[in-house]
Amino acid sequence: MNSCRSAYGCVLFSPVFFQHYQWSTSVKMNDGDTISNLNCKLGMKSILPIFRCLNSLERNVEKCKIFTRSDKCKVVIQFFCRHGIKRIHNLCFQESQPLQVIFEKNMCSNTLVIQPRVLAEATVLFTSSQEEVTLAVTPLNVCIKSSNEESMDLTNSVYSEMFVGPDEFDFYQIGVNTEITFCFKELKGMLTFSEATHAPIAIHFDFPGKPMALSIDDMLLEANFILATLADEPSRASSPQSLCLSQKRKRSELIHSNSEAGKNVTSKDAEYISRKAVPKRLYSETRTKVSSSENRGSPLTERANRDISEVPESSVSDTEEVPGSSHLRKFSRMFFGAVSSDQQEHFNHPFHSLATASDSEEDVNNGSFSTF
Amino acid sequence: MKFRAKLVDAACLNNFTRVSNMIAKLAKTCTLRISPDKLNFILSDKVANGGVSMWCELEQENFFSEFQMEGVSAENNAIYLELTSENLSRALKTAQNARVLKIKLTNKHFPCLTVSIELLSVSSSSRVVTHDIPVKVIPRKLWKDLQEPTVPDADVSIYLPVLKTMKSIVEKMKNISNHLIIEANLNGELNLKIETELVCVTTHFKDLGNPPLASENASQDRNSEQMAEVHIDIRKLLQFLAGQQVNPTKATCNIVKNKIVHFDLLHEDVSLQYFIPALS
Repeated sequence: MNSCRSAYGCVLFSPVFFQHYQWSTSVKMNDGDTISNLNCKLGMKSILPIFRCLNSLERNVEKCKIFTRSDKCKVVIQFFCRHGIKRIHNLCFQESQPLQVIFEKNMCSNTLVIQPRVLAEATVLFTSSQEEVTLAVTPLNVCIKSSNEESMDLTNSVYSEMFVGPDEFDFYQIGVNTEITFCFKELKGMLTFSEATHAPIAIHFDFPGKPMALSIDDMLLEANFILATLADEPSRASSPQSLCLSQKRKRSELIHSNSEAGKNVTSKDAEYISRKAVPKRLYSETRTKVSSSENRGSPLTERANRDISEVPESSVSDTEEVPGSSHLRKFSRMFFGAVSSDQQEHFNHPFHSLATASDSEEDVNNGSFSTF
Repeated sequence: MKFRAKLVDAACLNNFTRVSNMIAKLAKTCTLRISPDKLNFILSDKVANGGVSMWCELEQENFFSEFQMEGVSAENNAIYLELTSENLSRALKTAQNARVLKIKLTNKHFPCLTVSIELLSVSSSSRVVTHDIPVKVIPRKLWKDLQEPTVPDADVSIYLPVLKTMKSIVEKMKNISNHLIIEANLNGELNLKIETELVCVTTHFKDLGNPPLASENASQDRNSEQMAEVHIDIRKLLQFLAGQQVNPTKATCNIVKNKIVHFDLLHEDVSLQYFIPALS
């Protein structure tokens, strides 16, 4: 999750990725007799330097062993290098409940599957200072072009666009003509990652305002990146009607996708999730609005997603200007069912954890991104 | 004012891209002059540029398969555009495997040089890339500052050594001082000197050869061993050398004692002249 909450990435490594994968149940077993996963977070600044020099790692390291020592709250990474050299890194971790994004990829009307190389060739067009790019699709072709904010000095920046025909895609399904605008930097980051895997990237999206998903799914890993897209200016107000309509559908889908933890989904959960859905920045203003809309639950339907994400926005625009986040305001907020650490029940949900043990692989294959 | 040109040959495209890269390294902003048979990249010797000036010329028919232009008026059949050099070189960089490259002057809320590229792709459908590069049209009254500079009567003319070698030497010298002395004589000797309180460094290039003296009134009794020197800002020389990715076909250095150093390069069919004034 990035700092302005407009992008979310999650990479799941299947046990096949590793030579040896051992999961041992931790000491604390809860009432439900379910396995409690280790949910922790590590600082990027600690982990990155360790894995930074790819070249030297490839040359020198023969084996890498990663294990946890929960008694000392440490993750130990051991590199067994050439010439008998052994390098050990001890990283402290913090227990945390991970954020989880619920986004139904398969329900998007537009899906494109493309080789990373083609996307990379498109990104060359833009300068690194380009903030946003727009993807415009029709059944005939796809256009990626630079997107400029009104405040920018247009007389100084180059406008670039590239049209790509359907036959360059591995899969091309356009249900609705649309133009979505998203952050270029995040796309580039994802692309760098995907080029290493050589697997095709699937892009799922709908209309402006609704988040888009970029995902890679191959034998070794599954990666999902959800990016916020720029919402169309005019209508921000949510219609409570559409919220209600989708409630029933939501609840049933929530239960359906929650195959393992089905019983545990109660209205109380949904409520809790909804309250935490509001991004921190807008929290104070939107308190009232949130409590009034009970059971917002997980926006597994497109409409719900947009409305929910727009409710906080409208309240912000009505009240004061949130300084420094006017740029962010324009992006629709993605809905996150953030699970708080003081809700005991959530500990038991493998559904909510990001690091899955091998036994929940079948959830991953559901196609629904929400189950982990 | 109209301008449209089409480029289809891969070698020409490579060449044009290389020229544009070189210009981008030499000048952040430059003037593009379009005339019926030539394209010029110009940097005039304003104070803002540190007195450095540049004149790059290429014959359009060596590059473009189609070339049409209509200047400001019949008597003034030229177009002067100011643009950020890097924008053009970056746009051309995306044209690596282009089947066709078209450049034209357009007006999209403001004047632009539109580069449109049809890329060859693996599949049957071709990709179309378009870049709109914003430009400023330079009014006729300012054209007089952008004319071809007169080549000064040099005291010494000498052929330059391999530019890459020269560049690595100048790079190291820059760490010692910003004040560089270039001197050369009619005996094929060129020296680069740095002098500080603590240290003096001189690099000697020998057997470079001198082009035949152009003017007749070069004094016969001029000692061919006598050095003509110019004191210049080393950073300007370095910028010039950094722009030369390939060794030119021909490279001459003309020195006017204590006034200016003039570099005259020929890269295949593109000529580049670069003037660095003496430090005052």
